[in-house]
Amino acid sequence: MIAILEIILRLALWLVLAPLLPGIINKVKAWVAGRKGPPVLQLYYDLARLWQKGVVLSTLASPGFIAGPAVAWVALVGAALLLPLGPAGSALSFRGDVLLLVYLFAVARFCTAWAALETGSAFEGMGAAREVSYAVLAEAALITGILSLSVQTGSVTLAAMLSQPVGAGAVLLAAGLFAVLLAENCRVPFDDPNTHLELTMIHEVMVLDHSGPPLAAVLHGAAVKLLLFAVLLSQAVLPLNGLPPLLAAVTLGAAVLVVTVGVGLVESLLARFAFRRVPLLLTTAFLLCLFALLLAWKGGAT
Amino acid sequence: MTPGVLLLIAACGVIAGLVLGPWRPRLWLALTSAGAIVALVAALWVLVGATDWEWRSGFAVAGEPLHLRLDGLSAFFLVLLSVVGGAGAVYAREYWADQQHPDSAGRGRLAWNAISLSMGGVLLISNGLHFLIAWELFAISGYFLIVLERQRREVRTAGWLYLAVSHAGTLCLFAFFVALAARTGSWELGPLRAHAELAPLFWLALAGFGVKAGLFPLHIWLPSAHANAPSHVSAIMSGVAIKMGLYGIIRFGGWLPVPPAAGGVVIGIGAVTALLGIAFAFAQNDLKRLLAYCSVENVGIIAIGLGGALLGVRHGDAPWGRLLLAGALLHVWNHGAFKALLFLGAGSVLHATGTRELSRLGGLARVMPWTAGLFALGAAAISALPPLNGFVSEWLLYLGLFDAAASRSHTAWAAMPAVIALATAGALALASFVKASAMIFLGAPRTEAAAHAHECGPWMRGPMLALAGACVGIGLAPCVFWPAVARAVGAWNPAWAGAEMPAPLFTLSAVQFALAGLFIAGGTWLWRRARANGLRRALTWDCGYARPTARMQYTGGSFAGIAGGWFAWILQPERALRRPRGPFPGRASRIERVPETVLERGIEPAGRVVMRASAAVRRLQHGRLQFYILYLAAGVAVLAMLVWLEGRP
Repeated sequence: MIAILEIILRLALWLVLAPLLPGIINKVKAWVAGRKGPPVLQLYYDLARLWQKGVVLSTLASPGFIAGPAVAWVALVGAALLLPLGPAGSALSFRGDVLLLVYLFAVARFCTAWAALETGSAFEGMGAAREVSYAVLAEAALITGILSLSVQTGSVTLAAMLSQPVGAGAVLLAAGLFAVLLAENCRVPFDDPNTHLELTMIHEVMVLDHSGPPLAAVLHGAAVKLLLFAVLLSQAVLPLNGLPPLLAAVTLGAAVLVVTVGVGLVESLLARFAFRRVPLLLTTAFLLCLFALLLAWKGGAT
Repeated sequence: MTPGVLLLIAACGVIAGLVLGPWRPRLWLALTSAGAIVALVAALWVLVGATDWEWRSGFAVAGEPLHLRLDGLSAFFLVLLSVVGGAGAVYAREYWADQQHPDSAGRGRLAWNAISLSMGGVLLISNGLHFLIAWELFAISGYFLIVLERQRREVRTAGWLYLAVSHAGTLCLFAFFVALAARTGSWELGPLRAHAELAPLFWLALAGFGVKAGLFPLHIWLPSAHANAPSHVSAIMSGVAIKMGLYGIIRFGGWLPVPPAAGGVVIGIGAVTALLGIAFAFAQNDLKRLLAYCSVENVGIIAIGLGGALLGVRHGDAPWGRLLLAGALLHVWNHGAFKALLFLGAGSVLHATGTRELSRLGGLARVMPWTAGLFALGAAAISALPPLNGFVSEWLLYLGLFDAAASRSHTAWAAMPAVIALATAGALALASFVKASAMIFLGAPRTEAAAHAHECGPWMRGPMLALAGACVGIGLAPCVFWPAVARAVGAWNPAWAGAEMPAPLFTLSAVQFALAGLFIAGGTWLWRRARANGLRRALTWDCGYARPTARMQYTGGSFAGIAGGWFAWILQPERALRRPRGPFPGRASRIERVPETVLERGIEPAGRVVMRASAAVRRLQHGRLQFYILYLAAGVAVLAMLVWLEGRP
């Protein structure tokens, strides 16, 4: 009973807090640009309104067009439940859970790309192609980063991998994972979530034809994914386990806030890169993770 | 003795089918599928029970007494053979029926049973000479299956290539078995780990079996053969036949001592095969070629696991070696299930539209919902997405590799690149299968043929459903299948016998169940919500285009443009572009082709040089007697010179 309550509590935490992040990013961007900007809670209002709205379906789309966002959303929330939260641990932890996490991202990617291609639109095909292609490099970087954590701690369980004291490669790993975060969540400089030109978008162009509740699922899923990456990054770098629970929770929250503000600052100060330079940037992220891996292997204790 | 009786019954059924098949299709189907089921029972008997089945007879074939053996490992592969063989036979009843293919259907049934029998023989035979005979029969019946549609030129070319390359491999195997027999003094096969001097023979086996398995760069026969064969043949070739090569490598890697470098080399070849195989797959615009190249990738994944197991043995039977072998073996089953499913799905598409060009298909999901759904399931499974079976085997492989890396020994040199290669190949596989399924089933039909497609009938749908069931079953309940895997692992290395199930497999099983339930619940809930809010159909948003046409859709080539470009150094794509010119442009075209790089850029030029040299030498033979006398005189003179020089002090 307690376990079920705990899972529900965690779920509520993830679901409720996630849409805060895009709001904070937008506020930071507005603040740097000297604008007032939308309220931090804007995404909550949008989601509530979308949930009430009707749906316009492309004449070509099949039920997979709606099932896609739903499955992607479930996969991302499931991945979030696997992730431990500092000393509170995770709702479900087993040896090899980190691989399930990575492959749940893949499920979400498969489903969004599938739903995008249901419409037969050239733009959405373009976006899906970009998404799955850049994900190849992002996945290589992510798995290398995870491997470095695993070699560092000698474990394949997220709870153990994220609770050990950090190694010398933490800075490299943080930089690499931050780049992966930007790429996987379609932020500048990889993608511009605010652009209005279909030709230059990745994620946004994929979900162009979605409306109503499915769009709400897509937007909320994206927010959960962003929070997930921010929490993963924070815990990969900060050893929270030694701290008392309350302090650990505050530290984790602060770290996530720092990452979020960092994303906002990057978005304000950088322009989106040309698409041909995206692979270069992702390769750099991969190399950063690779160096962290080498440090964990050769430079770590024993 | 009971597995032996069952095997005898199965063999009788298949042989009777072989004899009667060309004329009696219904009886053939009954006999063949009954044979497959009985063989499956026999194999499961050995896998579930603890005893191997062995039968020695004084009866001599080609001067050697008959020796059959069904242990955990061969039973494991026999399960694959009987499942895919049975499913393909049922599928062929509608797909390659006598009405449509009056001249080749009978031949197809004959060759089908011949290849099933000879592959069963390869698995059972425990005598080097008989193994070679069965292997050769298997190769030749494979040829006859591939060239069923022999009036088409590319089919004949593919068949030739298969035959030539396959025999190059058999040559290596011939050397391997002869050297083995010469060393041990008998053709008997079995555990010979004590003979340390046999270790170098592993390289011969790797090359010989590697050709059949399709390890890069020995895979050259594979794409064209799989693409041009009828789809049920592609399914058994890809699902089972290439696994026979892997069976050989695994079998003799377990029975014989291996060189110290074997593990590292096999992992390396596996990683390269996986990455390049899927890169080639991603760039293909021919559906069946894409699937064939993806088989190359999966062979690479299995090779990574096998190489890791060899390393594990070398490092004192490290537990991660066991995990890697278990993952590799489970992937053999998994790949057999989802690749056969995908090839049968491709056959259904080909049957309905007459084309396997991705750029001529599209929008089939509406007219072929069954095929679309089953193909999508196979695509998700082969992309290793949870909660399906591909994820379970890759998860085991990852666990083993992560443990090997975390051991911080020298094995990390092999394990860490393998992890990265596996993840990258996995992401590319996802991209390839999003591309394949979307180009076929989603969007608007690109041609008339695609618009007027029809769903396949129950005989084709049934086998696909069964294979899809296997994908879901292994995915949701891997614990049920673990004892069989553990038995095969124990047969490979007795020190690893009785392997405990990795504890998280239970948890994983539960998580997979929960995920499957939640995916369905989530989809239903969102669909209901959308329905309740009101659904309205409208045109796809195409940047304000009032009349979007099907030709505006993204094509397979453009979809693969980005990631395909990263592999241009090996893919070497050829492009022919005709730009529209003038105020009233007549025609414009852009043709893009991905060549078989290894074949067209490596082996064919080398072959041409050899042919040219041969032609030059042939000029010496022209039929003029006086010149022949001159050669003779010159030869005698040179010989005399040599004798004279030798005689001098």
